[in-house]
Amino acid sequence: MAACELREESGGRVLLKLSGSLNAESTAACWRDLERRLHGMRPTSVEVELSETRLAGAIGAALLRYIAEGGMTPGAKVVMRGLSEQAEKVLQTFTVEDFRAARPQPHKPSIPTEAGEFTRLFWEDVKEQIAFFGTMVTALPSAWLHPKRMRWGEVRRVMEIAGANALPVVAIISGMVGMVTVLEAAHPLARFGAQIFLADVIGFSSVRDTGPVVTAILLAGRSGSAFAAELGTMKVNQELDALTTMGLDPIRFLVVQRVTAALLVTPLLTIYAMLMGILGGLVVMRSLGFPPMMIMHQLSGRVGMSDIGVGLTKSAIFGVIVGGMGALRGLQTGEGPSAVGNATTRSVIACILLIILANTLYSSLLYFWQ
Amino acid sequence: MNQEAIIAVKNLTAGYGQQVVLEKVNFHVHSGEVVAIVGPSGSGKSTLLKHIIGLLPPLSGEVWIKDKDLWAITARERRDLLHSFGVLYQSGALFGSMTVFDNVRLPLDELTDLPEVAKNLVVRSRLRLVGLSEACGKMPSELSGGMQKRAALARALVLDPQILFLDEPSVGLDPITSAGLDKLLLDLSRSLGITLVVVTHDMESVNTVATRVLMVDDETRSIIAEGPPAELRERSRNPRVRAFFHRGQAEMEAM
Repeated sequence: MAACELREESGGRVLLKLSGSLNAESTAACWRDLERRLHGMRPTSVEVELSETRLAGAIGAALLRYIAEGGMTPGAKVVMRGLSEQAEKVLQTFTVEDFRAARPQPHKPSIPTEAGEFTRLFWEDVKEQIAFFGTMVTALPSAWLHPKRMRWGEVRRVMEIAGANALPVVAIISGMVGMVTVLEAAHPLARFGAQIFLADVIGFSSVRDTGPVVTAILLAGRSGSAFAAELGTMKVNQELDALTTMGLDPIRFLVVQRVTAALLVTPLLTIYAMLMGILGGLVVMRSLGFPPMMIMHQLSGRVGMSDIGVGLTKSAIFGVIVGGMGALRGLQTGEGPSAVGNATTRSVIACILLIILANTLYSSLLYFWQ
Repeated sequence: MNQEAIIAVKNLTAGYGQQVVLEKVNFHVHSGEVVAIVGPSGSGKSTLLKHIIGLLPPLSGEVWIKDKDLWAITARERRDLLHSFGVLYQSGALFGSMTVFDNVRLPLDELTDLPEVAKNLVVRSRLRLVGLSEACGKMPSELSGGMQKRAALARALVLDPQILFLDEPSVGLDPITSAGLDKLLLDLSRSLGITLVVVTHDMESVNTVATRVLMVDDETRSIIAEGPPAELRERSRNPRVRAFFHRGQAEMEAM
């Protein structure tokens, strides 16, 4: 432990004696103490006695140099005594400029610059997405036409993780959405004595809209993000570079499998989600007093194959979006520790946005065409 | 330079989980020494280092640093002990979200009560020491590998550690940068009496900086040689040790 003794003499002279070891902890205490006390004294000259002190390193030296430069006693003459040759050398590692320089701040762009940069990046991203879509359009069919060259094991693995493992959560969420849809529609329809049309509501909404959308959003959160993280980590580890230099195209080697798997698994999961949604609705209708036979009759009379076709078409489109955007965001991963996290976030946002956008577009088109 | 043991490793069995890498290892490091731990790839040098710096609990045995058993002290004591040494990781391990300056300043901010001007002074002097004064405001990703490593060294040194552990400091550095780093380490050891423990493959660096070498071996799972580098190189009876030193030399000359 270091100790600092301060003695005030006549004529504004101050004697400062430091002793003990000046390490990080003791220097901090000394520094604050001296700063406070010397400030009150306003000395004209300071003599520092150092023969009994030992420097542990740069932190102690910073204190000595600061005192020597008059940092604590502006205008006073400072003399140091008893400084060892070694310590003298350490003191020379500080320059006068160091005292004036402040902490450097990372460059912060102005708001217009940032807005412009954002717009440019957004546009770049749109272009990249279009280019990527083009690549997929050529890569996917050629992969399907040459099934021997496709890594089906990988497709199966992804389908299992993205599909089979998602069954419980799809069941719970779709079932509950079905139940809530019926519950919320029950009162308004009852006012017209049209509660039997609850079957239509649940049938149409599950098959044409909520089934595919809920499944796709779940898939985006569970699997699109996983694709982005997987490919992103591979990129950070230079595994993608290794593939490229081996003459293997990462698109054909990694992306095609994921998009194919997503394309196959999303409609399957969607059928399951439709069933679960209807089942959820049925449970509520049953509790409202409708006999099962009546509900089934009403359902089968209204919801036809064409509705299921609409739902499945949507789900196939959503599957491509989830597989593609997840993979693209993974491939776009930058550098640094937060890069993979960013890629994952961006993939989920982009997937959900595009899913909702595609759903709206598709439903609007159907409405005007029918 | 006093001769008290600043690090004492007693009957240490090193390894992960069920896998034993080194068995019943004993050695001391004295204050002010520069000890190089060498050995073939996969012989457990880095694992040994992890046990000593407190990252990995030993399978059995003890690690004493400054007369405290690293793995049998209170959390508070342990924290104080950890503050007394610095570690330079193989990849640098700079925090990617902070500037170089803030990376080096972090230990001062979090662990000391120094005034602002003092922190800035110390950070600047450490960055100048490693030749990075110009790179203060840059992000780690904007630096080359060698510069990142030097910035990491500045960070490891900023609390004035008594012991500095270095994991493969010369990996990924060109010979000139590497020689510069060796010189820097020698200066640190001489001017401030810092104890250095270096895990390395670079035999030239071992010959330049080390006062003593420990060679670990994966076949016997123990330390097979110990002594000043010149002695091991010239006079070791163990053919594996001689081979290790001379193959290293031959390769250097061939390059």
